[in-house]
Amino acid sequence: MDTDPNPYPLPPEPLPMDRPALMAALRARIGRLERAGAAAALARAQAGVVELSEAIDAALPGGGLARAGLHEVLAADPGAAAGFAAVVLGRAGGTVMWIGPEPDAWPPGLARFGLSPAELVLVRAPRPADGLWAMEEALRCAAVAGALLCLPDLDLTAARRLQLAAEAGGGIGLLLRPDTAETGPSAALTRWRVGALPGAGGSAHSLSDPRWELELLRCRGGKPRRWDATWRTTLDRLETDPEPQASPARRRRA
Amino acid sequence: MTLPGLGLGDGPGVAPAARRGALPPCTPHQEAAASWTSVSLTLSEGGALPPPSDSVENSWRGPGGATPPGGGAGAAPPQATSAAPRRHLALALPRLPVDRLRRGGVQGPVVVWRGVGSRREVVLAGDLPGVCPGQALSDVRAMVPEAVVVEWDQAADAAWREELALWALRFSPLVALAGGDALVLDVTGVAHLFGGEAALLGRAVGGLARLGAGAVGVVADAPAAALALARAGRGGLVVAPGGDAAAVAELPLSVLPVAPEVVVALSRMGLRRLGEVRRQPRAPLARRFGQALLRALDEAAGELCAPISPLRPPPELEAAREFLEPLITREAIDVAVAALLGALCRRLEAAGRGARRVVLRAHRVDGRVQELAVGTGLAVRDPAHLGRLFEQRLERLEPGFGFDRIALLAEATERMAGVQSGFAGGGMQAGVAGGAGALRREELARLFDRLGQRVQLWRLAPATRHWPEREVRRVAATEPVAVPAGWPRAPRPVRLLRRPVELGAMALLPDAPPSLLRIGRDSHRVRAAEGPERLEPEWWRPSPPRRARDYYRVELASGARLWVCRVGFGAEARWFLHGYL
Repeated sequence: MDTDPNPYPLPPEPLPMDRPALMAALRARIGRLERAGAAAALARAQAGVVELSEAIDAALPGGGLARAGLHEVLAADPGAAAGFAAVVLGRAGGTVMWIGPEPDAWPPGLARFGLSPAELVLVRAPRPADGLWAMEEALRCAAVAGALLCLPDLDLTAARRLQLAAEAGGGIGLLLRPDTAETGPSAALTRWRVGALPGAGGSAHSLSDPRWELELLRCRGGKPRRWDATWRTTLDRLETDPEPQASPARRRRA
Repeated sequence: MTLPGLGLGDGPGVAPAARRGALPPCTPHQEAAASWTSVSLTLSEGGALPPPSDSVENSWRGPGGATPPGGGAGAAPPQATSAAPRRHLALALPRLPVDRLRRGGVQGPVVVWRGVGSRREVVLAGDLPGVCPGQALSDVRAMVPEAVVVEWDQAADAAWREELALWALRFSPLVALAGGDALVLDVTGVAHLFGGEAALLGRAVGGLARLGAGAVGVVADAPAAALALARAGRGGLVVAPGGDAAAVAELPLSVLPVAPEVVVALSRMGLRRLGEVRRQPRAPLARRFGQALLRALDEAAGELCAPISPLRPPPELEAAREFLEPLITREAIDVAVAALLGALCRRLEAAGRGARRVVLRAHRVDGRVQELAVGTGLAVRDPAHLGRLFEQRLERLEPGFGFDRIALLAEATERMAGVQSGFAGGGMQAGVAGGAGALRREELARLFDRLGQRVQLWRLAPATRHWPEREVRRVAATEPVAVPAGWPRAPRPVRLLRRPVELGAMALLPDAPPSLLRIGRDSHRVRAAEGPERLEPEWWRPSPPRRARDYYRVELASGARLWVCRVGFGAEARWFLHGYL
């Protein structure tokens, strides 16, 4: 039966038509053709999300902060932003890397935000090019659950590279940037601004749980929002204030 | 000269290091003393077939090695060789200072001198028949006014000798510097690769001559015997095993590494040759001239074997290639390194080991040797991974006129069986999950190796100390970190400033928490302050004297949380910002 007289045989036809498999293959192929859309969505859908809190997750596409994606965190307050990043990285569940020119992440404090020192690897990259390279390598590695890069400025190409690397590896990427006036366009999926709020309760001699102002400035597939959140240290939980905050414009009018 | 066409794949060259523990202490050198050469770069696996195993086994035993009855291909070669004497090749370089100058382009008669007190005496002369070492420089100048006179540069000579020693690593992994003017190679078990000891000797001397260094080479059992014969100028001599004492008997005493006064005193008694001195009763000799003379005599006669101290530690496994045509281009070097990595990793696999440190040694045509090293966090024997680690390093090689030999040495290896397990998280998972965890750990270790080539990375592990900067200590990224229960003791900041920032602070009372903080030019009202937490310096450690610190966690009116501390009390109190949140 191997003797085929036809010198130009047709490609063999798949006899049992496996429709779901075929569809998935075609979808993946189309996705590869247009990287920005379907493939990214597929990769994200498979990789899952990092859950923050019920109210915030409801506002984010996919029901949480997407893994296999890059997220930008603007630090209005350095401590609050580092705490928020630690919450995200700690919930990524696996080895995470903290990359910076002089990484000053301090595990005794980060442990309170759910990031264990057993999972944290610090990388010192004095030059920005080294930092970007290390971040890309880390995100490309499937064994890394998340990576954070402290960087003052980032151009669109570099951000896009990091986003593609995160899609390839499946980990969550965080960019920790200072909150400066000029924050141009970005290839990241979301952009947050994290600031500090005065604690509710507590006295002049004891500090209550830290409170943060979380502003979702940009979100692909979602709307900008803003929450006031409290990190419950003892419960390991991020709680948003019960009633949704009025938008800044309406609050000013009131 | 014909070389045995040993390819890259010849497995039995080095016994697995695991066997080493049960062997006599001298055998590691023996095992490593095999070097692999092939005369051309052939990438086909067919050219890399191992030679018939018993021919290798036989040659392993070396000349004079007793062949145990029934010792087939499976017998461990080191045990057979441990009975045989070790063999050493001594290469004396008597004209090193002049050869170095000739290499630098100095022509005609040359005199190298050195200052001894106020006197200038000749060390060595080139192309000057009537001049001998020790003569006054002024006499020589009067005799031969046209001679080039150069002061002795001992450091440059030593550097060149070391370079030559590195060059000689192509013959044996055990090369040592001896005295001020010689090299000693342990050639036990490697001579057959070069077609016998005489051929090896000829090749070494010839190679040194091509590099411009005149050498006198002798092969003997004991390093000191070979050295004495080489210093006496018996070039090309191969002493039969066990014949050291007879060979050195007729040598003059001046070849011994003893003080010249001893030689003079002995010659006054009519004792001018080694054999004559050795026939004398030992006790009076020792009383008169000390133990050093007897030891030197015994070593030269091969009765005492002093080990040589090699220039480079012998590798545990090695793969090397020699090239007829020197490699200059990056592509050629890449191909050669890839082939060598494949060979080294096959050897590692056969030995059941993985490499932790791999050194690439490239011998240039002009005798220079360049080395590159990579270290890995976990034992590795994957050629692709090692290749990636070397990829960036290879840029640092300077081929010049090309490399005629490239060797890859596994300097540190660890036992490695299949998939590594029990590395970071401990063996909590089992079965499939455990396998996946091990794979993930291996993947992480590879990532860390790659990153470690360009950036620093580490983990911070909890330490049992209370001083804030010492609460964690740096460990390697591949090391597991255990977190004790109830750690940390007290709330700590999420970011700790490496250099604390000095603050201005106002407090209602000298010991009260601050109520206003000045950071730079801005003043911030403090909404709440928790503390103080007083930390005393660790007086039991030898560290520079420090002062106690009072730490406060403060929250400013804006909500920002800081970790500040006060050093000193009262009027001389100073405030620092040490961390955030």
